[in-house]
Amino acid sequence: MAAQTEVFTGFQPGPHADRVSAGGWMLRAAALLPVLALVLVLPAHSDDWANNAIYAAIFAMVGLSMNVLVGYTGQISLGQQAFLGIGALTAANVVNTGTAAADPFTFAVGIVTGALVAAGAAAVLGAIALRIRGLYLALVTLIFGSVTADAIFTIPSLNGHDAGVPAYRPTALQGNFAFYLFALAMVAVCIYVDVWIRRSKVGRGLIALRDNELVASAFGINVLGYKLLGFVISGAMAGLAGGVFAFRSQAFSDKDFTSAAGFNLALIFVVMVVVGGLGSRAGVIAAAAFFALLDPLLTGFAHHTGWLSWYTGHKQYIQNVIGAGLLLQTVIFNPGGLGQVLRPFTQWFGGKRFSLHDEGDAAAAALGGGGDNVRA
Amino acid sequence: MSVLEVHDLTIRFGGLTAIDNLSLSVDEWEIVGLMGPNGAGKTTAFNCITGFYKPNAGRVLYRGEDVTRVPPHRKAAMGIGRTFQNVGMVKSETVLENLLTAQHTKAGYNPLQALAGASAVRHREKELAAHADAILELLGLTAFRDRRLGSLSYGTLKLLELGCALASDPDLLLLDEPSSGMGPEESHELGERLLALRQALGVTMLLIEHHVPLVAAVCDYVYVLNFGKLLAEGDPDHVRNHPEVVAAYLGGEAPEALEQTEAPAEDAAAIPAKPRRPRGAKKEAS
Amino acid sequence: MHVVADTFSPQLHLVTPLISGLANGAAYGLFGLGLVLLYKSNRIFNFAQGEFATVAAVVAFMFDRGIGWLPKLPYFIAIAVGVLAAVLVAMATERVVIRPLFHRPRVVLVVATVGVALFLIGIEGLLPYPQTASMRTISDALSVKSYLTQIDGVVVLDQDVAKLIVLAALAVLAYLFFRHTGTGTAILAVSQDTTAARVVGISVERVSMVTWAIAGFLGGVAGVLLAVPPSGSVTPGAFTGLTLTVAFSSAVLGGMTSLPGAFVGGILLGLIEAFANADHSFVPGLNNLPAAQSEVAVAVVLLLVLLIRPRGLLGQEA
Repeated sequence: MAAQTEVFTGFQPGPHADRVSAGGWMLRAAALLPVLALVLVLPAHSDDWANNAIYAAIFAMVGLSMNVLVGYTGQISLGQQAFLGIGALTAANVVNTGTAAADPFTFAVGIVTGALVAAGAAAVLGAIALRIRGLYLALVTLIFGSVTADAIFTIPSLNGHDAGVPAYRPTALQGNFAFYLFALAMVAVCIYVDVWIRRSKVGRGLIALRDNELVASAFGINVLGYKLLGFVISGAMAGLAGGVFAFRSQAFSDKDFTSAAGFNLALIFVVMVVVGGLGSRAGVIAAAAFFALLDPLLTGFAHHTGWLSWYTGHKQYIQNVIGAGLLLQTVIFNPGGLGQVLRPFTQWFGGKRFSLHDEGDAAAAALGGGGDNVRA
Repeated sequence: MSVLEVHDLTIRFGGLTAIDNLSLSVDEWEIVGLMGPNGAGKTTAFNCITGFYKPNAGRVLYRGEDVTRVPPHRKAAMGIGRTFQNVGMVKSETVLENLLTAQHTKAGYNPLQALAGASAVRHREKELAAHADAILELLGLTAFRDRRLGSLSYGTLKLLELGCALASDPDLLLLDEPSSGMGPEESHELGERLLALRQALGVTMLLIEHHVPLVAAVCDYVYVLNFGKLLAEGDPDHVRNHPEVVAAYLGGEAPEALEQTEAPAEDAAAIPAKPRRPRGAKKEAS
Repeated sequence: MHVVADTFSPQLHLVTPLISGLANGAAYGLFGLGLVLLYKSNRIFNFAQGEFATVAAVVAFMFDRGIGWLPKLPYFIAIAVGVLAAVLVAMATERVVIRPLFHRPRVVLVVATVGVALFLIGIEGLLPYPQTASMRTISDALSVKSYLTQIDGVVVLDQDVAKLIVLAALAVLAYLFFRHTGTGTAILAVSQDTTAARVVGISVERVSMVTWAIAGFLGGVAGVLLAVPPSGSVTPGAFTGLTLTVAFSSAVLGGMTSLPGAFVGGILLGLIEAFANADHSFVPGLNNLPAAQSEVAVAVVLLLVLLIRPRGLLGQEA
């Protein structure tokens, strides 16, 4: 750590003094192998696990979308499941295959349209958010989420006259593992966009306006425009996840998003983002995978230990207690969430020295003592 | 043509008239001071000029163009930079990231290109970082390049804020109490730095300042505000001895007390700046 | 609302929503009081308020029926124990969750209350009692006729009248408490500046504990009054999912900083909701409204308030 003295020393060797050697990179690649094994080999083996993995991928995309909106832009959104649903609804309706498998082109159009329509809906919410701040915005987004589902998803022409809208995958993606690879590709797209947000003026603009709108304006950032941009990017990612969601179960059903089910999703997503750590890509993905796989993991566990029937009857509540416990633990003791825990590792993978200390990460700065970074 | 002209600016908040018919102007390469006791309306004037407040009456002209209703972010793009009274920067980011953010208007690519990861973006980002490093070197802050703002001292933060204001190559700099929190030596250094910056970068400046020696050393012309109205204007020596100005300050800090701080070196001769603009007879606003 | 009608009179279309609106409005008002209290004192939205109510209802239910090894207590004692349980849960929340986060950004606290709600729902769900049942009404416990009167064939239930009376009484008491007692003033002082409050000798910790105890009490009363047929139950999460968001909206409508506002907003939004839901087939052209029309109505009201007059009808600050 540099000393705190006020010595203006002029030019010093920059932070690139420790470059990683070829051997260092090989070591990092080797360390990545078990992760790859988990992510690829297990789903390849079992159809069930592939299905679960797709669910995890969907959650990961939603997590990344909330990362942009809540983490970078500082807008509290408790209704993200609405965009997931809009994406699913649009994709299914655009493709509209009846009982036949979709052809690849229509499928692609459906997925992309789902993302675009969700982005549009997010822009509407964003426009409202321009005038409503902080806690009140949280309430508005919560209500927006449930009203969208209950009022729009239940329109008969959109939900297949209450029977659901079929959404069959193209033949090439019929197998769960194949579709999982597609889902992973979509996650990769979201990660790519996220990387470039961080590396460019987009991310800097969002974070600046989250921190201090006046300063952001003075720096030349169009605060209103960028806030909308944050919503639009977030909506697009969640909409993309929605398309994958629809084709995972090969149908869109409004019952997945209305009243209790929708409310439940909203809560899971909030817990997921907080436990993952706001602003942390790796943390949010890890938390998303955890919560998506919690049910299958616990079911498997209950099966082996003989508690299965009790578990099945009470699974909702058990997951609640676990999720809530983690949420409270994170908020009170570990504001940086999983992201903070994983930081030494992600830094190492990125080519820095492995170090347990950090100058302090943005998420902890946002949520920790003092500082009104997520506006209230 | 002047860089900045303010005509009959008036703004009211509820029943309170914060600024009443203020007119001032700043010419190319001038450093103009804006003084007055606390609460006189100086920062409010800044906020009106930069577009954070919409005045009830009056006009703001930038290089002859009426920019009264132009929002702050567009003014920044037009070349007006400003600093804030309580250090205005992105507190959760590092020094370097702040300097990059401050170059937002000069980034040279649009958000769509950024999200797609276009190669133009990669290229420009390198250039922005190089420019940021240049500014760090100019201000002697290179050691703090990757530090988070929370770990820096107030003086360093103020200097960094100046760097951020300079980052977008502004033509006009509005500095709100740049020397606040600084002792006499640091203020003196700041004064020299400002003069050097004018020389090197050709920026015009409008300063809100309380520190009389600094104003005397640096400003070509001074306006004094009191209760939102223009009290006096002229060159620093004239204004500082103006009886009404002295009276206005006696309630706060007396100028005499400030003069006990170290007197600045006479470097006016060393810097061939534009001659102080004669404004005819010393005008006094009543 | 239980409708007993043998003649199909046009006035049915005003009376039914009027009465059910008042009944629901009382529910929103009861929750609203607790929400406004915690907003005034901590500047947060307490998303756990619904579960404070459910805890009270569940505990009261279990003692009323004598579930498991619990003794079967008389109705009013069971209710009192239920409310006490809610108070204790609220105080525990204050101590374990709110106190450590006291000085963090408000958003963090709100997220924490969401966590508390989630946690309580989970715990309630794991308790051994029939989760779809409901609590007994007062008239049931007293073995009297369950309805007071009939207006144009629409029944006015005792329980609904009780809700309104209790709501009105609590609203008045709460208002007087804040205006005229030392503790009330202390709560407001702490809400504005904890350091200054300490300087004048206020124990911030004690005030915080008392505030949350009162909030728990208000939630608990709401729970035991509302978890009754025809629409209420002791299902974990029912209040949070169905009633709480509307209650928040009603509190915003009345003014988040105003306790009388919680009363006014609750009743008003209850009526708006009921009329939005009412059968409009008598008014030609309005029978195409989507099923969730009352939800949409509430959302529209909330948006209008926040965009046009954010401080609500009776609230103080902009």
